[in-house]
Amino acid sequence: MRLRVEYRVGPELRFLANLDMMHAMERTLRRARIPYALSEGFNPHIRLSLGTVLPVGLWGEREYFDIDLVAEMKAEKFVEQLNTVFPEGLKAAQAIAIEPSAPSIMSVVNAASYVFKVENAAAEVREQIKTMTTQPELVVPSRGKKKNRPKDLKPGIYKIKVKTEEQFDIIEVWASTGASVNVRFDELLDLMALMGLSRRQVADVWRGGNYCRVEGHFYTPMEQVKKV
Amino acid sequence: MQQKLICDILPRVSKPARYSGGELNIIKKNWDFSGVKMLLAFPDVYEVGMSHVGSKILYGLVNERTNHLLERCYAPWPDMENEMRKEGIPLYALESFQPIENFDVIGFSLQYELSLTNVLNMLDLGRIPVLAKDRELQHPIVIGGGPVCANPEPFADFFDALVIGDGEEVIVEILNLVESCRGAQRRDLLMQLARLEGVYVPSLYEVEYNHAGRCQAIRPVDSAAPKRVRRRVVKSLDAAYFPNKPVVPYMSVVHDRAVVEVMRGCQRGCRFCHAGMVYRPVRERRLKTLLDQAEAQIRSTGYDEISLVSLSTLDFSQVKPLVTELAQKYAAEGIGVALPSLRVDQFSVEMASQVQKVRKTTLTLAPEAGTQRLRDAINKNVSEDQLLEAASAAFSSGWNALKLYFMIGLPGEREEDLEGISDLLFKVRHRGYELSRRKVEIRASLAYFVPKAHTPFQWRAQDSIAQLQEKRRYLTRRRLKGIKLSFHDEATSYLEGTIARGDRRMGEVILRAWQKGCRFDGWSEHFRFSAWMEAFEECGVDGDTYVTRRRAYEEFLPWDIIDSGIDREFLIQEDELAERGVSSSDCRMEGCNDCGVCTSLEVELDIAEDE
Repeated sequence: MRLRVEYRVGPELRFLANLDMMHAMERTLRRARIPYALSEGFNPHIRLSLGTVLPVGLWGEREYFDIDLVAEMKAEKFVEQLNTVFPEGLKAAQAIAIEPSAPSIMSVVNAASYVFKVENAAAEVREQIKTMTTQPELVVPSRGKKKNRPKDLKPGIYKIKVKTEEQFDIIEVWASTGASVNVRFDELLDLMALMGLSRRQVADVWRGGNYCRVEGHFYTPMEQVKKV
Repeated sequence: MQQKLICDILPRVSKPARYSGGELNIIKKNWDFSGVKMLLAFPDVYEVGMSHVGSKILYGLVNERTNHLLERCYAPWPDMENEMRKEGIPLYALESFQPIENFDVIGFSLQYELSLTNVLNMLDLGRIPVLAKDRELQHPIVIGGGPVCANPEPFADFFDALVIGDGEEVIVEILNLVESCRGAQRRDLLMQLARLEGVYVPSLYEVEYNHAGRCQAIRPVDSAAPKRVRRRVVKSLDAAYFPNKPVVPYMSVVHDRAVVEVMRGCQRGCRFCHAGMVYRPVRERRLKTLLDQAEAQIRSTGYDEISLVSLSTLDFSQVKPLVTELAQKYAAEGIGVALPSLRVDQFSVEMASQVQKVRKTTLTLAPEAGTQRLRDAINKNVSEDQLLEAASAAFSSGWNALKLYFMIGLPGEREEDLEGISDLLFKVRHRGYELSRRKVEIRASLAYFVPKAHTPFQWRAQDSIAQLQEKRRYLTRRRLKGIKLSFHDEATSYLEGTIARGDRRMGEVILRAWQKGCRFDGWSEHFRFSAWMEAFEECGVDGDTYVTRRRAYEEFLPWDIIDSGIDREFLIQEDELAERGVSSSDCRMEGCNDCGVCTSLEVELDIAEDE
């Protein structure tokens, strides 16, 4: 059977690279004595698919993986067993059984939200950030493979919400992670820096969630499965 | 400080997971309610330090079995060091993030001669005076331990005390003593420490030099200090502590797997081998103990591989049942067994093919020398037939890459021995052509021999840099098709030699080299030999007297202050046998060779199958 699992990566684990997270997850599955399926071949490995790759430097409120099991297991039981052996900073929130034929987690996630906790910005800076999607284009030097090549983030930025609290503004940006425009969190930071937000004001950055965006609606990978 | 690190500093450095702590199975004891606070400092980068088995033992032992606290710290990579100096962040421990100056005791693990500048650098980053004589009551007691302490003199100036021998025997005694001496003057505490067996307190000794500037005596200046410091040994390894819940790093480290230590010591008696002498005698763990320890670690870590470590695991009397049982027990979960060191024989290859059901990559064998005469002289009891049989067995069971270790500059080496290395490589390659279905890859790693203290070759001259370069040129003068040679660095080997057999005047040189910016000397990208040469020059110390000079048997040696348990007569006898090209036998197979360890240290050979 296949399970889709939602988990949280705490701030203390923000410096793990993707491979580190992969190893941490595999070791957790072995400690929890989960009846995981192994791949065929000379070098068998756990059939685990970490669908969402958390960039180094970010922590994540809701991340996802799919795993194949060789024995039936209740989703609640799986979550419970994982949580008893997870290291500090990792926590499983929920799991659901999905069809083994369901499209892979990697292929369905095409958007994510990034949350920036910043020391209260000046009113005009805040306003500019809030309304950035009304600009004709939002160009920053690319941080990705085509380093420093100008990149227009505009088509990849879907939605912005700014919540003002006592000391901090919480800016949440929903953006594309797909193949056409991949918006990176550090590019968003660069963009906001161009609008007058200093890097020093940023107290924390994390990924709020991963989504499947279909016709303008955002579904979580869990909802996406149920919908299908 | 932690907040500043996480938000501001770590995002700017390479591999920040080296510095953020929080790994699985770490032990965070309550700072205020713990007894003595000790820091285990490893003077190399995190990935190296986290692979060290001895540190795992001490960490678990102190934290699980005593009221004291032991935390970890590794040498920051130069990019992190720059950030720390720029931002005024002192070196800190990975558990509590306390600055290291807040600890009572700092213990450095000295595994390699060229990590000493890192010791100074770490102390300095921790705002602790690098010289022991400059430390005062409020400063931590700085101690060291590990194989490099077999000759502690070159770095005696930097340490308040040094532990000689198996650390787990002594560490708790030291911490208890520090606790009971709270409030005492520093010198009083040091005198108490000197009374513990296996603890060397350099400041309680004076060094005498002769007219030629050579060290001719080291004498205690206080009655608390023994004339010679006797090495401590764990008498029963089977009963000794071993951690069931080691810390599991998040980032990939050098040895990223569960480990059990199947035995300590090696009885083969290779005359060049430091570890083979200073870890005597052989003490094995029992099969059941090892199976239990393996099970506990696999369950607590989630590793997919368990490694059986020791100086020569294939010599462990129970290796076959252990490997078989582990391989069967965990195969279904996808957990494998690893053998880190192989003997040069067919049995080894058979065992290796049993554990390496997976991808067959490289198999490593160590003939050490190119001719039978020289192998006999160094007492590496391996014949050419055995080597070729092992190679054949490897090629026919599916390996296509073989790595062979050799040493250059061994005592009594001649041109024919260098030629012998090439010949041997050709023969091995030929076996590969005959037996392997795939393209054969032969790699030879050529290390330069550095004579070490407490070995039969401790009196011998090490080859000069020029001699070594000449030998390298000789070996590379013609292209060996299908064979790749890789050489160690001649200058690195020279520097190792100065520390391995130097005396207390080396302290000034090490200090000067560090002041000139030397650190991570064991890493070629950071090694600056010219700065070291300047340091020797400026301190008026001639490195050659330590490295390339042959000593007389009568000469006082700086490391005579350490009693390794091995009789001097035994070492002389072995050295003379080497001169005559005569090998000697394995004491557990053919009777005692009278090295003296068992009687002088009151231990016995402890072999599992003897029950």
